[in-house]
Amino acid sequence: MATLTMQNVTKIFGRDVIAVKDFNLEVKEKEFLVLLGPSGCGKTTAMRMVAGLEEVTTGEIFIDDREVTELPPRKRNVSMIFQNYAVWPHMTVYDNIAFALKLKKLHKDEIDRRVKETAGMAKIEMLLERYPSQLSGGQQQRVAVARAIAVNPDIFLMDEPLSNLDAKLRVSMRTELKAIHDKAGSTTVFVTHDQSEAMSMADRIVIMKDGEVIQVGSPDDVYHRSGSIFVADFIGTPPTNFMDVKIQKESNGTHLVNTHLNLLLEPEMAKHLNGYDKNHIVLGIRPENIVLVGESDAALSASCLVSEPQGSHQVVAIQLDDNIVKVVAPPNPIIAPGTDVHLIFKQETLRFFDPDTTLAIND
Amino acid sequence: MNKNPIKLGKLVRRTIFYLFIVTLAVSIILPVFFLVSLSFLSTRESYSFPLPLLPSLKTEYSLTHSDRGYLLSVYDKFDKEYQTVLDTAELEKMSVYMKNQIGTPYSIPKIEERIAELENGGKDTIFFSVRKNLLLNYTTFFQITRDAVPALLRSLQIAGLTILISLSIGSMAGYAFARYVFAGRDVLKFSVLFVRMFPGVAIALHMAIILANMGFYDKPIGLALVYSVGSIALTVWITASVFMGIPESLEEAAQVFGATKWQTFLRVTFPLALPGLAAAAMYTFLGAWTETVSAILLTQFNPTFSVVVYQSLLGAVGNVNLTAAGGLVLAIPSLIFTFFIRKYIQQMWGGMTI
Repeated sequence: MATLTMQNVTKIFGRDVIAVKDFNLEVKEKEFLVLLGPSGCGKTTAMRMVAGLEEVTTGEIFIDDREVTELPPRKRNVSMIFQNYAVWPHMTVYDNIAFALKLKKLHKDEIDRRVKETAGMAKIEMLLERYPSQLSGGQQQRVAVARAIAVNPDIFLMDEPLSNLDAKLRVSMRTELKAIHDKAGSTTVFVTHDQSEAMSMADRIVIMKDGEVIQVGSPDDVYHRSGSIFVADFIGTPPTNFMDVKIQKESNGTHLVNTHLNLLLEPEMAKHLNGYDKNHIVLGIRPENIVLVGESDAALSASCLVSEPQGSHQVVAIQLDDNIVKVVAPPNPIIAPGTDVHLIFKQETLRFFDPDTTLAIND
Repeated sequence: MNKNPIKLGKLVRRTIFYLFIVTLAVSIILPVFFLVSLSFLSTRESYSFPLPLLPSLKTEYSLTHSDRGYLLSVYDKFDKEYQTVLDTAELEKMSVYMKNQIGTPYSIPKIEERIAELENGGKDTIFFSVRKNLLLNYTTFFQITRDAVPALLRSLQIAGLTILISLSIGSMAGYAFARYVFAGRDVLKFSVLFVRMFPGVAIALHMAIILANMGFYDKPIGLALVYSVGSIALTVWITASVFMGIPESLEEAAQVFGATKWQTFLRVTFPLALPGLAAAAMYTFLGAWTETVSAILLTQFNPTFSVVVYQSLLGAVGNVNLTAAGGLVLAIPSLIFTFFIRKYIQQMWGGMTI
């Protein structure tokens, strides 16, 4: 297995459509790295450049110490799982898996051994003689996986491989893909727009927007220490709640104030604002870090707009002016619309964002 | 009375539907049936009125004395009587007539036998029947037409060359139209059809001059080139839509998994495009195989088979039943080709989904 390095990679389509802008990335050996972003953010283009399916406009790509920027796909020793699986419909499952091995001119017995071994890993050993049209979507997906493992690649590329599966299968395939990754010990780059997929699978997540890297970090990092409003909003369901607040320094400490809220910051949190010279910030708080309390302890009171029971919890939506704040609350009792709810924030989880740059202040 | 008006409506719709289908089937089957039937008729039958629907399998003869020798009569099924067809003493003439006009080969010794029967039996008239040689029209066609067999081979050669030229150029162009974005792509794709917007015969004379200058006049390659011009337009459009139907990711996967561009085409794109290419090949074959007008103008001593069939209708030897036999011979290779290629075309509709 190998490392992948991308240095200052830029991709421009046509004359002026910048798909990927000055992209820098190092993927460690055996790492499961997820490229995450909304559609059109350049994540797939970035991966396709690694595969050699798109030419790099400027910049270099290395696999280990080998520069592959100009190499055709077949010389890069990467393998790829495509969004639509791309299993060849005119070949049996066996031939699909053996295709790359035959091109490498391996001995017949060796091909047979590897096909059966990888088919076993992907749990399709009983389907080897079938054609893809006789398989379900999930089974085709497994064929694509087996085909990708069989070549023993340096880098494993997965382009939204789960997005064509139904919701239940998607979740179970997640677990299996991760297990196969661990077993094969491969370096993997996984592209997705589904943040829960990214959170559940990744060692590290690269969040992209408009062709640029916004934040790189572990799932824990990007969730709890989101570096910008975009990331805080993109990661998590329901996403982070945002409120515009004014900073007021008073004798008893720093307050965050707007029409609904007057929050006295604990000294620990107030410290984060020391170097900040504007008087407005965007306050970010995740729904599960807002706690329902009795009226007397509340930092904020408002009436419930709607409550969505989820079994293990309920999501309570509260209207504050034209802003809806969502709160993850215990499942019982179910809060009826119109009821007054009283809230406090877990202060240590608050995120402060600069309203102009949208970047986080407390880091 | 029908209580359910919806049922009645359905009945009417179904009736109209089947009437339509039957009309369609009849309009296809009837000419073919006519051609087949005609190709088995004897010359006498094919020029009689009304024309028999089916060829006879044998002919009833009667033989009797006449002033000049013998009277040969043939039983007419329509008039239900014997009609005199020949009054001669020459047995050879009689034998030739029986073979060529009635389609019943009968040797001179056998005629002598019958005459002996007439002379010795003491009867006024003797009756006998002779089996018809149904394939006689076919053997005659090949005997009387100038180089029918070489023309058949030539036609095959031309059709093959046309498929080769138009499919190789057409499918490459089709692939480019399907896969690449370039300036003027749509205009170019439509302009490919210009060559089909006027009849080929309109430029046949100019073609003849150009081919003569190229040294290809009256040669199979010359006709193949002319046919290719028209069929390339067709193959470009067919193959472009076929290649568009093949997801690009299948080719990309092949490249990622170690194939060169050429291997990708051979092992992935080509097998997947085969049904469409087969369809294009079929249209091209049928076009090149049956084309006659340009072939008449662009060949002189080396005609194609369709020209030979056409020419068999002209001149002294021109018998419509012989032409029908030639026409059927012309139809058979295209039928064989179509049936052979059918299984590939069917893949496109049912057997395989991409």
